[in-house]
Amino acid sequence: MRKNTLLFLIAGIILLLLFPVFLPRFYVYLLSIILLYGLLATSLNIVLGYGGIFQFHHAVFYGVGAYGTALMLTKTAMPAILAFIVGPLVASALGFILGIICIRLSKLYFGMLQISLGSLVWAIVYRWYSFTGGDDGIHGIPIPEMLSSYIGAYYYTLIITAVCIFLIFKIINSPFGSALQGIRDNPVRSEMIGINVKRHQILALTIAGFFAGVAGSLFVVVDNTVFPDMLFWTLSLEILIMCLLGGWFSFMGPMLGAGVIVALRTFVSTYTVYWALVLGVLMIFVIFFLPNGILGYFEERFKKVFMGSEIKE
Amino acid sequence: MDIIYSLIPPGILSQIFVGLSRTTILFIVASGLSLILGVLRIPNVAHGSLYMIGAFTAFTVTKIFGEGQAAFWMALIIAPLFVALISLIAERGMFQFLYEREHLMLLLLTFAFSLVFGDLVKLVWGGEYKSVPVPAIFQGFVPLFGGLPFPIYNIFLLVAGPVVAVLLWLLTNKTKIGKIARAAAVDREMVGAVGINVSWVFAIVFVIGCLLAGLGGVLVAPTVSVTLGMDHNLIIEAFLIVIMGGLGNIWGAMLGALIFGITQSLGILVWPQFGIVFPYLAVVVVLLFRPTGLLKSTW
Amino acid sequence: MLEVVGISKSFDGFKAVNNAHLSVEKGEIVAVIGPNGAGKTTLFNLITGIIKPDSGRVLFNNEDITGLPPYKICRKHISRSFQIVNVFQRLTVFENVQISILSREKKTWNLFSPSKSFVVKETETILENVGLINKKERITAFLSHGDRKVLEIAMALGGSPEFLILDEPTAGMAPEETSHCIELIKTLSKTMGLTILFCEHDMEIVFRIANRIMVMVRGSTVIQGSCNEVRCNEAVQNAYLGGSDVCLM
Repeated sequence: MRKNTLLFLIAGIILLLLFPVFLPRFYVYLLSIILLYGLLATSLNIVLGYGGIFQFHHAVFYGVGAYGTALMLTKTAMPAILAFIVGPLVASALGFILGIICIRLSKLYFGMLQISLGSLVWAIVYRWYSFTGGDDGIHGIPIPEMLSSYIGAYYYTLIITAVCIFLIFKIINSPFGSALQGIRDNPVRSEMIGINVKRHQILALTIAGFFAGVAGSLFVVVDNTVFPDMLFWTLSLEILIMCLLGGWFSFMGPMLGAGVIVALRTFVSTYTVYWALVLGVLMIFVIFFLPNGILGYFEERFKKVFMGSEIKE
Repeated sequence: MDIIYSLIPPGILSQIFVGLSRTTILFIVASGLSLILGVLRIPNVAHGSLYMIGAFTAFTVTKIFGEGQAAFWMALIIAPLFVALISLIAERGMFQFLYEREHLMLLLLTFAFSLVFGDLVKLVWGGEYKSVPVPAIFQGFVPLFGGLPFPIYNIFLLVAGPVVAVLLWLLTNKTKIGKIARAAAVDREMVGAVGINVSWVFAIVFVIGCLLAGLGGVLVAPTVSVTLGMDHNLIIEAFLIVIMGGLGNIWGAMLGALIFGITQSLGILVWPQFGIVFPYLAVVVVLLFRPTGLLKSTW
Repeated sequence: MLEVVGISKSFDGFKAVNNAHLSVEKGEIVAVIGPNGAGKTTLFNLITGIIKPDSGRVLFNNEDITGLPPYKICRKHISRSFQIVNVFQRLTVFENVQISILSREKKTWNLFSPSKSFVVKETETILENVGLINKKERITAFLSHGDRKVLEIAMALGGSPEFLILDEPTAGMAPEETSHCIELIKTLSKTMGLTILFCEHDMEIVFRIANRIMVMVRGSTVIQGSCNEVRCNEAVQNAYLGGSDVCLM
């Protein structure tokens, strides 16, 4: 079993590394977008699936990370590498601040306040024409030469995404990750075994904000633009659907969900302008028939087989 | 009056009251949202879409009735009922099966509906701007605030808000269905055990809440250009108001709308570019002192 | 060891706990009894910081712990179980107890080491002591009710408590599970020297394990004393035990 997983992983990585050799430009671009959305959805899942926190407006951190990177690249003469660090750090700081404000509230309230305050950030970005470019956003962001070709951008995205996913995996399986999952299942109980629930949740929100910011900075590399829609609340809910569709109790679920939705959007959009309608109908289908997502569905079947054999013993 | 004018110039006062008349619409929409949140615990993202559908339906109805005197009143009756019908179908067909599931699922379902509704509006009405005329009797201005002209329609709005509030209060406090709904909000199983069909109570509450969204849409139609995307900001504003006031509390929604309206119009006067920031700051301040909103959050 | 002085709490004007008193000495097993709605669980919630009292004080080892948040109270080595099963549903039995120990050891801020390698021995010892070691890889949601109740106690033990509060530890258990649980509580008291405070509906169980009993009616303490004192108290008989001949038993 373990050996198989390892083989799969290696085969997958080799395939991902080889894609640019034989795939046309558009598909390499699409793959980069899928990877970074996958990272974004996985970062949301740290707090959503593993933390049980209703982070309804995750796109804000993605957008702020992207804007942070873009503004550093366009407005300052500092080395590019700094921009790729500062963007995510700003997003993470925002995650921390919003976390402190919102975490005092119960679940649903938390989500609603978060969506509202996130919209405030959107409104500021949208209105602050002189600094953020307003509704036009920023185009033609100067990217270091090594990353400016589509293949360079792809490899950069692939490496950073892989590293981040690995880190997130480590965090989920660390003692902190265990505590976080405990809090998800039962905050009262967690508090009663000596866990400072709010502080753990705030740290989780900060971490999630950081990785969302990384995804944002990746978008700057891949697309060379930023625009205010990146932190509009509809995108946040789209990320939520990615988690739901892939399975938010499975580690790779959000990545899978991101892949399906980004690919589907790309292909549907070539036929019709009514992508939202298609997405809406798809969502309704998933909510009713695949509540644990695609991966969750298969894991559940697997578990049933497993549990069955155990009971027989 | 002169004393007030010496403190606040009449021009600004007039502007504030125009702003307040808009918040009455926000209040009507938010009270529907709050009703659904209080009883069913659904943060209804599709609420904004229903408001948009209300506005577009008002456009069609006024078109059909030839933009005459009766057209607006017909719209005022037909559009909310149409929205209510849509929500009834959605509730009976979909939502009622998810009440036992996590809130997240319900939220995502409402989001799915908002996506579907948004595109359906695009399909039916197209992407152009639509305008609904101000009904004849409300056209024109009256001199108010030191003789400055004040639009009559906004006076109508300022009256409509409190009327809706009182009607809602009567509904929830004086009628049987209201009392059952309030009990169900606190303890669902208890009400079910008494032999009341909770499921239908929820449906009625849901439909009434959505009807208010439609009503808000009709009322706003003559004051703005009716267009796609008018739902997007509204739903966030309604969320803010409900959070400030306390979930499920109608007077809370009114208070929240007032605070929202005042901080926004004052904010825009003080700092035109970022005036919209002030209501958000108000929310943060309110929640720092009262984490569950200004008024008692559940009935 | 634990001293509750004149504690009160009301919800919307309803006095759930009204001027209640309780004292527990080191090494004792004390039971709290009283009719439904007497405020037993509220009292436990007040002691463990889940709700804050309106008035009154809670002293633990002569230290005022009134109104501290639960996680701080837990760090004073007070642990509890809950009446309604309160475990981590999606995690395994092993993880449930492990988190409790990790929390005590203040390891939950560790972000990058695999948690698999932490406190394995101690977790397994606790599971062995309570008799759940065979089920350690099970997902908690699939456990029987009785096993989950025992797991609650195991989690409480993870905090290496000096003082253990059990809220109806045997409620809903099958007969053989109940006797296993009673043995467990007795062992904890005897071999580990834990001080235990619990509440229970079944009078037989109460009289079998408790050293002393506190009787609560409508939020107030009626009496606290030895089993016999409580049995023979007239007020208790009227309010709760419901017949005067109980004293002769």
